[in-house]
Formats: sequence, C-alpha cells, structure tokens
Amino acid sequence: MRGIYKIYPPEVLALENVDWSLKKGEVHSIVGENGAGKSTLMKILSGLIKPSSGKIFIKDCHVIFSAPYQAMKMGIGMVHQEFMLIPSFKVYENVILGSEKDLSKFGGLLDKRKAKSIIKSLSEAYGFEIDINAAASDISVAAQQKVEILKQMFRKVEIVIMDEPTAVLTPQEIEELFGRLRKLKEMGKTIVFISHKLDEVLEISDRITVMRKGKKVDTILNKDITKNVLANMMVGRDVIFRVNKPFKTPGKAVLEVDNITVNSIKRKTLGPVRFNVYEGEILGLAGIEGNGQFELVEALIGAMALSSGKISVKGIDVTNIAIRDRRKYIGFVSEDRKYTGLALKGSIKENLIMTHHIKNEMHNLPFTINWNKGEIFAQRLIKDFSIVCRSISEQCISLSGGNQQKVVVAREFTLNTPFLLLDQPARGLDVGTIEFIHKKILDMREHGIAILLISADLDELFNLSDRLMVMREGKITGILDPSETTKEDLGAYMLGVKENV
Amino acid sequence: MNFFAVLLKESINSATPILLAALGGAFTYYANVFNIAMEGMMLTGAYFGVIGSYFFGSWAIGLLFAIISSIILSTLFSFFAVYLHSDEFVTGIAINMLALGGTTYLLRSTFHVKGAFISSKIISIPSWKIPFLDHIPLLGKVISGYSAIVYIGFLLAIIVDIVIFHTSFGLRLRATGEEEVATRSLGINPLTVKFISAVLSGLFCGIAGAFLSLGYINLFSENMSNGRGWISLTIIILVKARPLGILLLSLLFGFFGALGVMLQNSSIPPQFTSMAPYIATLFALYVYSKQKRKGSL
Repeated sequence: MRGIYKIYPPEVLALENVDWSLKKGEVHSIVGENGAGKSTLMKILSGLIKPSSGKIFIKDCHVIFSAPYQAMKMGIGMVHQEFMLIPSFKVYENVILGSEKDLSKFGGLLDKRKAKSIIKSLSEAYGFEIDINAAASDISVAAQQKVEILKQMFRKVEIVIMDEPTAVLTPQEIEELFGRLRKLKEMGKTIVFISHKLDEVLEISDRITVMRKGKKVDTILNKDITKNVLANMMVGRDVIFRVNKPFKTPGKAVLEVDNITVNSIKRKTLGPVRFNVYEGEILGLAGIEGNGQFELVEALIGAMALSSGKISVKGIDVTNIAIRDRRKYIGFVSEDRKYTGLALKGSIKENLIMTHHIKNEMHNLPFTINWNKGEIFAQRLIKDFSIVCRSISEQCISLSGGNQQKVVVAREFTLNTPFLLLDQPARGLDVGTIEFIHKKILDMREHGIAILLISADLDELFNLSDRLMVMREGKITGILDPSETTKEDLGAYMLGVKENV
Repeated sequence: MNFFAVLLKESINSATPILLAALGGAFTYYANVFNIAMEGMMLTGAYFGVIGSYFFGSWAIGLLFAIISSIILSTLFSFFAVYLHSDEFVTGIAINMLALGGTTYLLRSTFHVKGAFISSKIISIPSWKIPFLDHIPLLGKVISGYSAIVYIGFLLAIIVDIVIFHTSFGLRLRATGEEEVATRSLGINPLTVKFISAVLSGLFCGIAGAFLSLGYINLFSENMSNGRGWISLTIIILVKARPLGILLLSLLFGFFGALGVMLQNSSIPPQFTSMAPYIATLFALYVYSKQKRKGSL
C-alpha cells in the first residue's frame, strides 16, 4: 500500500501518507491508540472503505477495491471486531452465506449435505472444535470467532486481517486463538493482527507496525524490542505501566454489604456475600466472568432486588431505596458504556449532566433544566477529563471508545458520592486512556472515596487495589493482599483451587 | 350439495386470495421490509385483471395485466421504502390509498359505472376438474372444480417454503432481513434482495387480485379486496411467515369468511355475520399472545 490518505469530510484526516507492506507467511501486527488509523487502513485493504488517494499493489499488480468481495477474490479477508454473523443461522449456513452459489444444484437449490461435509472437514483440518449445526446465537463468543475464521478459510483467503480479536476473549481463549493463528501461519497464510495490547503483539508477531494519529511511525522486526519502547512509539512519550500509589491507612467503612443474597428462579446466584469497602480504599474484585459479579453489580445499583441482606453507604440503609435516590451515594461506571453508561444518540453535554441535572443548582424552575449552567458544567468536565470532541453538542456515538469512557467517568466521578462502583473501567481502551483513567481513580482514592473495582485485567487489579477479593460461584472465596500475592496465586483462587474465607 | 360441502368449498375459495397475498408478503417479511401494501396491490391487480380480460377477451391477458400492474405498484413501494428509506408504514398506507382511489376513479372514468362493473365480456379464469376424482360423489365436489388459481395457490405454498428455506436465494433473503450489515460484508447487496422481495410480493398479490375479479366472481367492484390484504398481514405475523403455517391459517380464515357469508341466510343480522373473520383475527391474536407469553417464561 503506497501513499494512502483517507479524509473524512470536512477536515478529519484519518490516514496521512501511509506506506505499508505485508510479506507472505508472516504475522504482522498493527498497533496504535484508538483513532490512530489502524482499523481504517485495514478496512481500505479489505475493500470495505475506499481510500481518498493512494494505491494498493498485490504481487506488484495495482488493484482497486470498491467492495469487500473484490478484495476477497484477491485472497484478502477481514474478521471484524463486531462479528458479521446472522444470529439465527446455523454455523455452516453462516460460513457459506455469500459464497453458496457453488453449492447449489438445479438452479439455486442448496445442497445442504455437501455444504455440511465441506465445512466439517474444513473445521477439522484447522483443528476447530465446533458444532456446525448449532445456531450462531447459541454459541460462545470464542466459537463465533472461530466461525468468522472458518468463513475466511472457506473463501480460500490467503491474508486474514483480525481486527482486535482478543478484545472479547478470556485469557485462556486468547492462548487458544494464538495457537490457531500459529497453525494458520504454518499452513502458509498471512495474518494481520490489529491490537493495542502490547504483550499480545510481542508474543505473536513477526513484524510490528506502529501507528499514531493517522501516520505510520515505523515498521519494526519483533526482536530485541521491549514493551516500553513500543509504548513510547505508540503514544509519543513514556508510559508508566507501574502505578505509584502512596500508602494510605484506610478510614471508616463506607460501603457495608451485609450477607446479601440474590436468587433467580432456578437457583441462588449470589451470596451470601459480606464485605466492607473503607474510606480511601480500592477493593479489587477478581473472578472469572459469570461467577456472580453481574448480580453483585445489579444488586448494588438497585437494578436487581435482594432476596435477603442489607446494603448501606455511610451508615445509611440503601437496600430498598430507588435507583435515583441511590445515585446520591453510589457512583457507577458500567462495563457496557455503549448501552448502560451512555445515551449514545444524546449529545456530550446531555450525557455529562445526566444525574447532575437533578441537583438544585441546575434548576431555575422546578422540572426545568438551566441549560446555560449545564453547558458551563459540561465544558468544565470536558477540560478536566481531556475529552477530545469537535463540539459539546456532538453525539456520543461519534466519539472514540476512549472518549466515550471518559464521558462516563467524568460524569460519575463528579457526583460527589462517597462510594464508586467501577465495573471494567478500562476494558477495550488504549494505553494512554487507561493511564489517564487509572490516575483519576487514584485521585478519587486520595480524596477518601471508597472504590470497588471489578476487572478481568489482573495487571489492573494488582496495580490499583489495596485489597483483593475473589468471587467464585456467587461467594467470596478469598481476601488477599496484592503486595504478598502472585498472579498465579490469584488465578488459583479464581479457579477454585484455593480458598481462605 | 349439502351445507357442509358448500361451506368447505366456499372456505377454500375465500382462503385463496388471502393465501396468495400472504405468501407474497412472506418474502418481504423475511427481508425485513414491513410491507402493508398487499391490500392495495391486490386491489390494483383485481382492477387491471378485469381491464385485460374485458378488452382483449382473454383471461390470460387479464392475469398478465393483473400481475404487471401489481408489480409496478410494488416497485413504486420499494423505490420509496427501500431505496429512499422513507417510512415503510407511511409509504404502505399511501400505496393502499392510491390503489383504492385510483381504481375507483378509473372504474368510473373507463366504464362509467359506480359501485361495480359487470359484463359478459369479462372472461374468467377456467376452473379445473380433476379427472377421476371429479366423479366421486360428494368428495369430488369438494376437491375438484375450482379455478386453476386455487390449485396453483396450494402448490405455491410448498414452492415458497422450498425457496425460502432450501435455496441460495432464500439464504440471502433471510440473512438480509436479520443482519443487513453482515450480509453486505459478504458481497450481497441488501437493497437488491429487498427489492426482489418486494417485486415477488407484487407478483403474488397480482395473482390474488386476478383471482378476486376473474376467478372467484367475475366482476370488479370498488374496494373489492375488502381488507383481505390486512388479514394476510395478520397471518404473516402470527406464523412468522412460515409458508405452511400461512396455508393452514389462510384456510382457517377462509372458513370464517365463508361461514360469515353462509350465515347471511340465517336469522342472524348480516352485519354480525360479516364480522366473523375479524372476530377470528382478534381471537387468533389473543391465543398467539398467550402462547408467546408462556414461551418466554
């Protein structure tokens, strides 16, 4: 690819004079912060979007793609971050869709038996263990990803572009994915791996291209390179991975969770759970997804009714009060910023003043909002949390993931609640934004806020937490001191090998 | 012929236009095009069927006219609803009103009659007598001697089922309806698929319209589709457009329609008897929602 530009009118320069090459049989990673242009570049290569200028050459032949199927014909396929599957279709139907013409007989009648046998042997050849007759909506995310890869293999693609494939996977699944990618490489396929997780990139790639703000910084061979050098290239300055946090003696109990349980129709899903979070303390909650974290969050914010037990904040019983009243005591960063955290179609201003709008200073008359005050307030948050946006009335949907998360964090951290519930606050963000959000979390700790941090990222938990708590099957199975615990040890608690409560 | 044989025969006759329109609507249903214009397409088909048959003296040309006019209307619908992304509901209402007003106007200006146009020059679609079966007493009367379109309608239910669930086109159709973005990423143009689905619904509604004015009876009257397109829509939604489900429910609605007509000879006021199909619709909706609730728990 030579001299690629992509301009989004009126004046957003997404890619600027990018030259990039790919060698047969390599695993080539592209790293960069959100908005650096990595996905845009690959979408151009896969024919999904057209470049504003520049040329693409394959084996020295100049090619022009105006639709994905043309790129596919040249052997280029992309596995998108958001999977392109039809939920109700069976696995094999998803694989053949769009290329099913070869499997038809008598003018369009599908030869399902033949299709199934081809897909089955293909899936076995690559060592995918997958039920080809299951509906796509019934299988796990990792399995859906396998289907996406199978789709590319069925189309005899030579170059597979994977856009942030690990973002949706658990650590074990990531290992499996890497195994599969290595196998694909052995079979002579070329793989492009887009990511912003540096450890993964260093593990899997032959070459690494670093991008920043729409420009290519460099393409380097993956040897003798360290994570710090790579991060520096990516962000343009040194990044501190180890967070320095001053020692603090915890204060009084702020959040008191007293033997709460949640029962669903079928079984007990949470509890009994009992713990406190103290003033100026970050309590990290570890656990494999689906072990009661969801229920705990829902119970704390008041979206799910308790079957028994009591929750109080600063001595005030909040067990049975409405969500709106609870928000005076509990700030909440949801793991799902797109649906729970934000009203995506609302403006940045509207999203920033949500909940703040109930306060008296936002009113002139009852039931009205003083938008002037709202605007001043929102402007201040945009500045304090360095949210990058074109205007205050821009819809949140057009912001990058990192900036969306900053909007949520800005709103929740300024509610002046004594307790903050943070559910995966840095999931899917780039290193620069993660660093920023971690700094803000530590600021809140300095101010004596009690924080419960739920995370799947063990580094994050170890860096930030004052205490670690492990949940398994709806119960607390361990309370650990991060300074005296290793990751492996924590893993053993998460898997239920060890318990200390 | 006894009462029940007549009732059965009438049921099948009044089920046929509903069945055909609903089968056409099944295509748009699976393509996720909210098509409520079946009523208007059917009415237009009925009118132009009469035109073709009357002026050219041939039922075949009548049928052809019906199909072409209905397809033109469906193309108009998809031009707005699919290509221009106008609201499907509003567009559908507009098409239905255009069809009602347009056919009424054309009826009056062409034939200078109000209400209905009856003429011996309207050639009807021939009815088929099935050999052998026709001679069986009673049974022969019930299963033989319908307009050709009735048999074609039953056959089409099976064909549509095969097309939607067992062909390449069906796969693309259902994929488009469910996840447009994903379908586009695989090199399929969702707009084309949606457009074809609308044309197919036009084709089927045209046949349904021709059956109304050239098969069932031999005349055109204002608003002669009389809500059948809406009943088709109800059926489509109730059975999630499974073609064989459509066949079954069409027969059920046909039965209530026929019952309504036949009860007109009894002492029950005709205003009440003609409510039968609509009461049946509400009842079906009730049963359906009840079941859906049970299923979700």
